[in-house]
Amino acid sequence: MALRLLSRNRNKGIPVLGLIATIAGFLLLLDRSTLTESARISRSGGQAQLISVQPLSPMLGEMCQWLPASASGSLASALQQERQAARAAGESPTATRRAEVVARKPARMIRDPYAAYSSIAVDPVHDEVVLTDENLFQILVYDRLANTPPRARMTEPKRMLGGMHTKIEFQCGLYIDPTNGDIFAVNNDTVRTLVIFSRSQRGNVPPARELYTPRGTFGIAVHETTEEMYLTLQHDNAVSVFHKYAEKDDAPVRLLQGNRTMLADPHGIVLDTKNKEMFISNYGSHHLKQSTSQEDSREEKANWPNGVQLPGSGRHLPASITVYPLNASGDTPPLRVIQGPKTEMNWPTALAIDVERGELYVANDMGDSILVFSVSASGDVAPLRTLKGPKSLVKNPTGVFLDLKNDELWVANFGNHSATVYKRGASGDTPPLRVIRSGPLNEPSLGIGNPHPVAYDTKREEILVPN
Amino acid sequence: MAHPQIAAFARLAQGNIPPTRAIAGQAALLSRSLHDIRYDAINDEILVANGHAQAILVYRGAADGEEAPIRIIQGSKTMLNDPDRLDVDPIHNEIFVPDREGKQILVFPRNGIGDVAPIRVLKGPATQLERAGALVVDPVHNLLVVGLPYSDTGSSPPAGSLLIFQRTDAGNTPPSRIIRGPKTGIIRINQMAVYSPRKVVIAAQPGKIEEMEPDGAFVGVWSLDDNGDVPPRWKLIAGPKSTMKKPRGVALDPKNKTVIIADMRLNAVLTFYFPEIF
Repeated sequence: MALRLLSRNRNKGIPVLGLIATIAGFLLLLDRSTLTESARISRSGGQAQLISVQPLSPMLGEMCQWLPASASGSLASALQQERQAARAAGESPTATRRAEVVARKPARMIRDPYAAYSSIAVDPVHDEVVLTDENLFQILVYDRLANTPPRARMTEPKRMLGGMHTKIEFQCGLYIDPTNGDIFAVNNDTVRTLVIFSRSQRGNVPPARELYTPRGTFGIAVHETTEEMYLTLQHDNAVSVFHKYAEKDDAPVRLLQGNRTMLADPHGIVLDTKNKEMFISNYGSHHLKQSTSQEDSREEKANWPNGVQLPGSGRHLPASITVYPLNASGDTPPLRVIQGPKTEMNWPTALAIDVERGELYVANDMGDSILVFSVSASGDVAPLRTLKGPKSLVKNPTGVFLDLKNDELWVANFGNHSATVYKRGASGDTPPLRVIRSGPLNEPSLGIGNPHPVAYDTKREEILVPN
Repeated sequence: MAHPQIAAFARLAQGNIPPTRAIAGQAALLSRSLHDIRYDAINDEILVANGHAQAILVYRGAADGEEAPIRIIQGSKTMLNDPDRLDVDPIHNEIFVPDREGKQILVFPRNGIGDVAPIRVLKGPATQLERAGALVVDPVHNLLVVGLPYSDTGSSPPAGSLLIFQRTDAGNTPPSRIIRGPKTGIIRINQMAVYSPRKVVIAAQPGKIEEMEPDGAFVGVWSLDDNGDVPPRWKLIAGPKSTMKKPRGVALDPKNKTVIIADMRLNAVLTFYFPEIF
């Protein structure tokens, strides 16, 4: 019921509220059917008047809002508090009232309590699989053969890295040094530092080595023969190449950037050392860079990317995989481009390569699939095969890794708290050989990552949260 | 951040509750780390900026899945340069976009499509628009509030500020009022919201950008009549009591008298009952 109240005397608020409570109690005792659509009760003598009672339209959702435990329990005090609050908003509140607000706890919180795997790599020497977690800011190391039973809540990692000292935040790229098991983990743009941990480190410890990177690093690949480390840069549409053992303020040794490169919001990167090529996946957001003097646009480091956008040059390109010579630098156009509707690419993220078979693997985030192309593919070509379907458990894959020693394909599924492993060459709706879960089966995965702003949709009563 | 999306959650969602819908995918034209989002209740539209593609994207309010924007502002006439944040004034049909690099505010027609030139530009030394990173419009009192970050080489302790302009200011116009100084507690300002009936601005102040969990982060409330070194009238402070660690986004639900806060270090959205400001 909605009660509409007309008070003729605002100075007698408490008696008025008492009257409301009395009337409300009386109405609640009545059979609903006895109430007319507009029952009118009038009183005289300066008292409050109930002027109408109107049934509410049917509601689909909650009827009542839950109030925090600290809120007043009575209607009268709630209304009084509200009125006082309205007066106070434009005035300077007392210290007591400010302290009340400071001590206030949230009424509600939307949060996923489980790890969201974003990238993956296997250490075949030590039989371990390493995963980055963008939700709780961790690096998790599991036994390679771990398999979460369906009824188990999760698999406990062998080792964890996380905490303020680690500088781990939104990590989206991962590389394991095959010689010693060192973990190279790429922070995206919130922490402009690549962190390297030794295999023996665990807990909230500083990285063994740090490298201060350009903004927006995403993918990582290392050429072990030349000891060069490649990083994709989202903001600058570029690839920075560092020495593998670079640290702190060391400058890149090479830069691939320019308006002819067709790099457009680059994500994953993988190296084909046999054919001396590199492959990069692009989401498609693109802009041109402004030609500026060195001192205007770059830090005082050689090969540092140009970060100055040319205003008004932005455009959206289709998703693509661009292929370059392994040692490409400057404004080098791609040798080949895989792009078009037949490719089925929909936010192609991480990449992996099977040099023996000449196959390129693509973690296709919004396609819920792993796409496999020939390394020589070019243009609008269909994948050689696709791993996809409900039995495969592939859901928003953002990480992919090929373990050639054990002939296995690994997928980090950002969308369902899982890492899944398949026989190399798996296709169609193939169930995984093993599953590592960070949370209970079928527990929702919210996908919230770096929630910067928020909006409220008053029409649908929904909270809009972008990543 | 590995997976862009705009997720919608029920107002009363609590804990690990899945979104009711999510906008994501190639056709949606989103990119990473959206730094602002606005819901236009009058026209039932959602607005975001894609900095990498220098575009303003407008979706229908009920957009879901891999859905394309209904309008895009993008092109050489727009002067858009890494657009990061924005606000919409549905009363006067305008979109405001701060341009950090250009030290200016660009104003576009709300219904603009494609390669549209700004209808107004606020720019010049008198504006003090150094690295203008955030803004919000009060269409009732015809005010524009711009948030500035601290200057690396500026005051000590480093101080950001709120500049208050008239909504229609253009060219080299100075702000009408400036909220700045040690009492304000402002280091930098991220998303803001205004509640016009009480003439207040609510601002997320996440602290120093180089710190993962900075001290002194809060959500503060100022009167739009405030000027000078004025402390916030109300504060929700990051810490164990509020649970907040690094608040960066803020939205209002006046009907239910709540403030909704996005916290980047928690990867969470928190709702506070806050009747004092409504």
